[in-house]
Amino acid sequence: MTGMDEGVARPGGALRVRNPQDAGAGLFLLAVAAFALWKGADLPLGTLRSMGAGMLPTSLAVLVGAFGLALIGFSLVQDGPGLDRWRLRGPVFILGSVVVFALLIRTVGLAVAGPVSMLVSCFATDEVRWKEAIIFSLGMTAFCILLFKVMLSLPIPVLTLSLPIPLRF
Amino acid sequence: MDLFSNLALGFSTVLKLVPVNVPVLGLMPLPVNILLCFVGCLIGTLIGVLPGVGPIATIAILLPITFGLDPTGALIMLAGIYYGAQYGGSTTAILVNIPGEATSVVTTLDGHQMAKQGRAGVALGIAAIGSFFAGCVATVVIAALGLPLTKLALLFGPAEYFSLMVMGLVFAVVLARGSVMKALAMIVLGLLLSTVGQDLESGQERLTLGLQDLSDGIDFAVLAMGLFGFAEILRNLESPETRDVVKGAIGRLLPSRQDFRESFWPVVRGTGLGAILGILPGNGAVLGPFASYTLEKKIAKEPRRFGRGAIEGVAGPESANNAGAQTAFIPLLTLGIPPNAVMALMVGAMTIHGIIPGPQVMTKNPTLFWGMVVSMWVGNLMLLVINLPLVGLWVKLLKVPYRLMFPAILIFCCIGIYSINNNPADVLFTAFFGLVGYVLIKFSFEPAPLLLGFVLGKLMEEKLRQALILSRGSFSTFVERPVSAGLLVVAAIMLVLALLPSIQKGREEVFTE
Repeated sequence: MTGMDEGVARPGGALRVRNPQDAGAGLFLLAVAAFALWKGADLPLGTLRSMGAGMLPTSLAVLVGAFGLALIGFSLVQDGPGLDRWRLRGPVFILGSVVVFALLIRTVGLAVAGPVSMLVSCFATDEVRWKEAIIFSLGMTAFCILLFKVMLSLPIPVLTLSLPIPLRF
Repeated sequence: MDLFSNLALGFSTVLKLVPVNVPVLGLMPLPVNILLCFVGCLIGTLIGVLPGVGPIATIAILLPITFGLDPTGALIMLAGIYYGAQYGGSTTAILVNIPGEATSVVTTLDGHQMAKQGRAGVALGIAAIGSFFAGCVATVVIAALGLPLTKLALLFGPAEYFSLMVMGLVFAVVLARGSVMKALAMIVLGLLLSTVGQDLESGQERLTLGLQDLSDGIDFAVLAMGLFGFAEILRNLESPETRDVVKGAIGRLLPSRQDFRESFWPVVRGTGLGAILGILPGNGAVLGPFASYTLEKKIAKEPRRFGRGAIEGVAGPESANNAGAQTAFIPLLTLGIPPNAVMALMVGAMTIHGIIPGPQVMTKNPTLFWGMVVSMWVGNLMLLVINLPLVGLWVKLLKVPYRLMFPAILIFCCIGIYSINNNPADVLFTAFFGLVGYVLIKFSFEPAPLLLGFVLGKLMEEKLRQALILSRGSFSTFVERPVSAGLLVVAAIMLVLALLPSIQKGREEVFTE
């Protein structure tokens, strides 16, 4: 029977995280709450009768923190799933392509921002076929220009060259 | 009869002829609103049938298309998009076994089985016909309840309003999937995010980190598109779904006489259940299909047929789904309280067009209100007319590979976000919330309660402050006023019930079945 002891939870032993996912979730909430409390520390709380600007943000941040603590607490007594695997590739290229779009739309316009950001996003997956992706991104951009600019006449710059720092001669 | 004159006003709005300058042909009178409804339904289904794109993402993606329109036209089109997206979800549930959202989960059980037996056409057909019937009934329910509820809402003081919203949020938590505590945490986080921006009274900057773009608060569309649009792409890229597209023939679309006989009462019962549950503040609509399926299975002569392609298992839940999807508009249009994330998105869309949802919409802007109500019925009719003949096209769309879909979704979202304020900074914020959404998914938080909390946050803060000023800073006002106390008691009971271990188990079963 001695061999069995290792797998059994030891009562009275050191606290052990039994639900890593919830523990992580709790830490995340605590971090958000701490950030909000720090940033909102200067706001006047006021009284219940006439609330100040800081009353609700502060109390809500405290509540968020309390939920974080509760999640961490329960994660020590209840078993649960482990942490998911975090992959960087998806977030980096998908959100990166969005950032690229934001930077290019005003400076060169949709005609360039569209294909470039779509191609950046394609790095997020292995399934990409580059020839197809290039043709598709160009076609899709043309379609978007037709739809949003020509048919719906939204004020989107299609092709400009306004550099962030104005050039003067 | 008020009801009929109001509906007549609605029809005249939807069918109104507007002179439009058509290229080549010159000035022509066209029924613009009905065309918008048609286009909305069509593209709503078009995007909605793409696997992995639920109704929330569909509406978020298509939102920018409505920016150039007048508010009435835009809302009519959005309603069309909404129904199209809903029906698109049911189509994928039947043909691919992937539910677009929680409400079409039940449809996969028997719908996909029917499809495997070569009766995909009949399943789609009865879903559309049942939905149309449910839509007709629900439209009348909205028209009938709209006026009295609006009058009721105008009687509500700030304390009652606040308690009503608390109850709505609690319902949303109880009916959400997953952990109750995590859902509560998400609501509070949503409320916290809603406080970002200038203070209502003093105009002080709150939690804006000194960024000027945040002084008006976080834009709703930015948050929704980040959490649902981008984060969903990230989720889909990591866990590629297996598509079980039905091979072979779709079969005849029109159900046979026997099919009709078997599904008539399930449709009627489903419509009733869905319509009633949909009115509940806090995503009651999601319960309709489950309740309908359980009921049909209970009273069936041979319950064993369920799960093996029983037509009642498609007809009932699909009707309940559509009825609930429509009556969910009632709390939004009369009280200004969105009951679920999709309706929260509609609030965002309405605000972009300068309309604050609430009881005053019906009194101040009757053409818009009744036009929208009637366009719901027209939208349902169009689904029946356009979707069924186009089934072949939808099947082809189901085969579009995800590697092409996600860049297209991305570019649409980017253009949409940029167009709201013509501000590239909004696009950057959306990327940030995409990251937040990814983190939430990794910790298995549901983003929907967050969105709901965010949307209700500003209104709740306003009402809370007003109520406390009226009561001179005493919280007892919420329990001393009978209506407010009643709402809070209901909320408390629901919350306690949801946290009881035995019910919690039952809740899990409901959502995993």
